[in-house]
Amino acid sequence: MNFAEMHQPEFAQAPATERHSHGRWEPYVDNGGTSLAIAGSDYVVVASDARQSNGYIINSRYSPKAFQLTNNVILATSGYAADAKRLVEVLEQNSQMYFHKHEKPMSTTATAQMLSNTLYGRRFFPYYVFPILAGLDTEGRGAVFAYDPVGNMERVVYRAFGSAAALVQPFLDSAVGFKNQRNADATRLLDREQALKIAIDAFTGAAERDIHTGDWLDIYIVDGNGVQHQKRELKHD
Amino acid sequence: MATLKPGEISMGTTIMAVEFNGGVVVGADSRTTSGPYIVNRVTDKLTKVHDNIYCCRSGSAADTQAIADIVKYYLDLYCSQHGEAPTVKIAATLFQEICYQNRSQLLAGIIIGGWDKQEGGSVYNIPLGGSLHREPFSIGGSGSGYIYGYCDKVFRPDMSKEECIEFVKNSVSLAMTRDGSSGGVVRLAVITKDGVERSFISGDQLPEQYLG
Amino acid sequence: MQLQTEQLQSAAGFKFDNVKRNQLLADKGLKLSTAKKTGTTIVGLVFKDGVVLGADTRATSGPIVADKNCEKIHYLAPNMYCCGAGTAADTEFTTNMVSSQIALHSLDTGREARVVTAMTMLKQHLFRHQGYIGASLILGGYDVTGPHLFSIHPHGSTDKLPYLTDGSGSLAAMSMFESRWRPSMSREEAIELVKDAIEAGIFNDMGSGSNVDVCVITQGNVEYLRGYSRPNQRVEKEQSYTFARGTTEYYVPRAAPQPAEVASAMDTSA
Repeated sequence: MNFAEMHQPEFAQAPATERHSHGRWEPYVDNGGTSLAIAGSDYVVVASDARQSNGYIINSRYSPKAFQLTNNVILATSGYAADAKRLVEVLEQNSQMYFHKHEKPMSTTATAQMLSNTLYGRRFFPYYVFPILAGLDTEGRGAVFAYDPVGNMERVVYRAFGSAAALVQPFLDSAVGFKNQRNADATRLLDREQALKIAIDAFTGAAERDIHTGDWLDIYIVDGNGVQHQKRELKHD
Repeated sequence: MATLKPGEISMGTTIMAVEFNGGVVVGADSRTTSGPYIVNRVTDKLTKVHDNIYCCRSGSAADTQAIADIVKYYLDLYCSQHGEAPTVKIAATLFQEICYQNRSQLLAGIIIGGWDKQEGGSVYNIPLGGSLHREPFSIGGSGSGYIYGYCDKVFRPDMSKEECIEFVKNSVSLAMTRDGSSGGVVRLAVITKDGVERSFISGDQLPEQYLG
Repeated sequence: MQLQTEQLQSAAGFKFDNVKRNQLLADKGLKLSTAKKTGTTIVGLVFKDGVVLGADTRATSGPIVADKNCEKIHYLAPNMYCCGAGTAADTEFTTNMVSSQIALHSLDTGREARVVTAMTMLKQHLFRHQGYIGASLILGGYDVTGPHLFSIHPHGSTDKLPYLTDGSGSLAAMSMFESRWRPSMSREEAIELVKDAIEAGIFNDMGSGSNVDVCVITQGNVEYLRGYSRPNQRVEKEQSYTFARGTTEYYVPRAAPQPAEVASAMDTSA
């Protein structure tokens, strides 16, 4: 056995069949659900469904995945709900510490970088979470940051993650990104009412075709006036 | 030897058959499971294969039903061709033939009990490999492991019909409460020269016993 | 050539030609694709003068809803219907095959077929294939001996019970039956309970969804109530997503030059 093999985690050494065989403890669970965010010139819209599930079982019909981290930053998650909860706790603690230390709230971009660092800090036992962080940048423009579970960060205009991401992202590419459309300005930003309608339609559509998405929809709108939250009903089947 | 295939319905069971002077009593619990789920809580594992011959089925539900259906067919055929009812021994030998020849593919533990003119009441046991044993009484299924001691202590070869029914009732009931794969009601059949009497004891009428 | 044609034509029933090859490939680590197994809720219930069958209408492939309104209650005979769970193709082909056998059997005997006959055909077919035909069925019907309800599992075992559930939503549905079923219910009570059992599956099991199909079989009569309950209608969209004419990018195919023009328009500058 060479060095690399010796230092692999124990579960990676077992053959594939044994690894997934009955009775072996697995640290991660996929709790399903979908989150998205859309940035505008002076706002962001964040939406997450509230169903939490495991396999064919619904754990909870209303277990929010989007959290208000600070006065003007929303974190939308998907993946493993327990890790997401812990991640939010860590971020809340650290932004509170920052507030008391520097006597000012953490900026959206600073929070975004902190999230990346927090995720990478667990590089070898990651938080199994796909976060989307949304707020307003220092110029007051809508800012959306998307991450992979180990902290790779990307500032984007819109993003969908989670069980219905493969359904929602192409829809957003068309409706928000104006991709593959002649005579359309792909750099144009939507106004807030349009973005809200698209977010709602993305979820009613996703609830039709993705079994893990449904029950309730949490929507956060962040703008210069602060954060506005609304809750809508989705299908329960 | 065959094992239960993924998703296969099993009868982790308690079954027994006991000779007494004048006939046999066969008994069984009524639980059929698929993994942890009880598919049927009132199963009848005592299957008639001829007028006065019953089998108690344990193991794979599919395998034992298929075997019983085949034996039933051959015994009907035997009856037509010979103009007389088959003996319990003939039925048991038929069961053994099928169980032994297909032992690599079957998961079936079967006890045969019945009455015939030659032998009176008789009990045969065919465990997993397909061997055949005549015994004064026989217990089988996953629940039987809990009651060997009780049965060996209480059984007498010269029991009356009533004593025998009590013995089967008590034994199956004891096994049912200790074995998670057994449960539901106790089903009984008393087979004598006069025919078959079927009965059952519902789950809330089981004999009194320690349940702590 | 003659031999080849014969081999192709003589192969009745299933072909097992590729079993060895596929096993070899699987052993080498190839991931073989699997047949569509749909999460389902199906139920059956015996009432005072017949049986009621019920099913949801969601068909899934993995986490995606493949069909929002499929039919899971299959026709077997004029007096028999059969709910299917498990591998979609297997339930479809198995019920179709037994349905045609039953039709021929009725023609042969000049009688309406019995439910036990269909049950025996189904169980013997499934047992012969040792569980590889993944059909989980609830068979209900009314014959000369009265109403009958059976469940048939993929390995070929059968149960005869007054109320049955199957599929991934079977536990949710069974919870309704175990709390509310009683002997000799009226037709209306039975339909209501079957509807509620299927809806329990629709709302609590993610493999089941959309609408409730119900089938009521009584002496000499069948009522197939397609979409008996529709508790999951799609909501109105917030806006329309039609595209303006000319949105789609396309190529204008260049007309193929005529041979004569090619000659005359030939570029000779180079």
